[in-house]
Amino acid sequence: MTKLTSHPPGGVDIEASGLTKRYGDKLAVDDLSFTARPGVVTGFLGPNGAGKSTTMRMLFGLSRPTAGTITIGGRRLTELDDPARSIGALLDARAVHPHRTAADHLLAFAQAAGLGRRRVGEVLDLVGLTSAAGRRAGEFSLGMQQRLGIATALLGDPGVLVLDEPLNGLDPEGIRWMRTLMRDLAGQGRTILFSSHLMSELELTADDVIVVGQGRLIAETTLAKFVEDNTTQAVTVRAAAPDALARALSESGVIFAVQPDSSFLVTGTDTSTVGKIAAAEGIALDELVRVRESLEDVFLRLTHDVTEYGSHAS
Amino acid sequence: MNLIRSEWTKLRTVRSTWIAALSAVAAGVALSVLGATDLLSASPSDLPAGWDPTSASLKGFLFAQLIIGMLGALSVTPEFGTGMVGTSMVFVPSRSRLLAAKAAVVAAIGLTVGLVTTLLSFTVVQLMLKSAGLPAAGLADPGVAGALVGAALYLTLITLIGLAVGALARSATTSLAVLVGALLLVPALGPSLPGVLGDLFGRLWPITAGQSAYTVVPVDGMVAPVTGLIILTLAAVGVSVAGHAVFRLRDV
Repeated sequence: MTKLTSHPPGGVDIEASGLTKRYGDKLAVDDLSFTARPGVVTGFLGPNGAGKSTTMRMLFGLSRPTAGTITIGGRRLTELDDPARSIGALLDARAVHPHRTAADHLLAFAQAAGLGRRRVGEVLDLVGLTSAAGRRAGEFSLGMQQRLGIATALLGDPGVLVLDEPLNGLDPEGIRWMRTLMRDLAGQGRTILFSSHLMSELELTADDVIVVGQGRLIAETTLAKFVEDNTTQAVTVRAAAPDALARALSESGVIFAVQPDSSFLVTGTDTSTVGKIAAAEGIALDELVRVRESLEDVFLRLTHDVTEYGSHAS
Repeated sequence: MNLIRSEWTKLRTVRSTWIAALSAVAAGVALSVLGATDLLSASPSDLPAGWDPTSASLKGFLFAQLIIGMLGALSVTPEFGTGMVGTSMVFVPSRSRLLAAKAAVVAAIGLTVGLVTTLLSFTVVQLMLKSAGLPAAGLADPGVAGALVGAALYLTLITLIGLAVGALARSATTSLAVLVGALLLVPALGPSLPGVLGDLFGRLWPITAGQSAYTVVPVDGMVAPVTGLIILTLAAVGVSVAGHAVFRLRDV
């Protein structure tokens, strides 16, 4: 992570307030308010069509809100003195002229920001595209295009980075690279907001989550709290003597179900309680694990509820 | 200045710009030469009264203008086609400044290509005419230098109209259709319309009027060179104002 910072990155809040976008009869974004803070990675989560991209496009000044505002440190993009040093954006990674080389693509934007060729070399180096600098962007894989998009976003060394689906289409190595990068950038005090339609992409990356469905806010919280609030606790336990274990569990009054592999799924309690129940009866355990409802399931359930509500309302 | 540098980088780093610029020159000169070869077998007495060797040497503009108009359109349409315009607008949130920088670069290219096409066509055709024993024009002849400057300005204005059409249409194919209609079809069919319409779409159609800018000898049914250039300029300003309004206000 050398050469990333030429000045201390000053992250500021990204704040949406009553943000609304109407296309004809359809509300793509519906009275959305949230804040993304500096120093943390904020995941912006919602199924496809939930209004994530529309929200980002309004942040980038590409489309006008029907009502409300979305600001960077309290100012609209058009009001920023030096936009390239304030905000970096990754829109659609494929939004490059296919015949222009990566270096030329970056040079055009560097010049627009008053930067020179040296900065182009630095960001190419940063995203690992130095050896591909002279190749046409159209020949790039989606993963390389994502890297080029990140390089473009980092040109002005901005305090705020907003990335639309940055993990989309990346291979596992690319995903790990992008995660590390986002975490490092946030660690330097920048504001990082990235969108995703996959909960699993957020799990290892985001500190905060903003969940939207049907253009409305579903949750705005820390990832840890989101998990705690929305997942039920369960324990899988297996013993060489399943009958004895079943008896012990029934006697202690916990709720459990027998699973196909003759282990038990105990809900509403934790591993230490189950362990104590078994120990009291002298039952040796082969397995004792805390299981969590997958975040993907939680997310689907939450956004599904909104979809249902939406269809009743219309 | 940063923005102009940036827009110049965008244009010079794609092949289509160079292909368009070179083929505008090549097609312009080649068609001018072809247009003049018809005359070579004629004797000076066959030529009509008021024959203008200068405008006769620029017949290739008919096609060159279409290519150069497309060069203007192609300075903006691929950004919409690929979506890159979104990134451009984050770097340059003032869309007016963004479009103005494009216009400055495109005008400079248009003027350069216009001058090269004009001077090459003029020089080659005048040499052909002279060697065929026909009356030829020279740069020092009255009105000739002015007409050649008018010719280069004509092509520059067409480039800017192309840019404005591109900003309005946001698509290369639509831009091409509009330019073929405005630059070729209307001037060809307009004069045959009856009455006021014939006047409007014939003599006063900005493209037709603008083509008087590179005549030395006044032509019947055409406006005066300066008037023509003014009409074309007004049209270019009008289309540009519309293109700017749409570029600035419409969601991307």
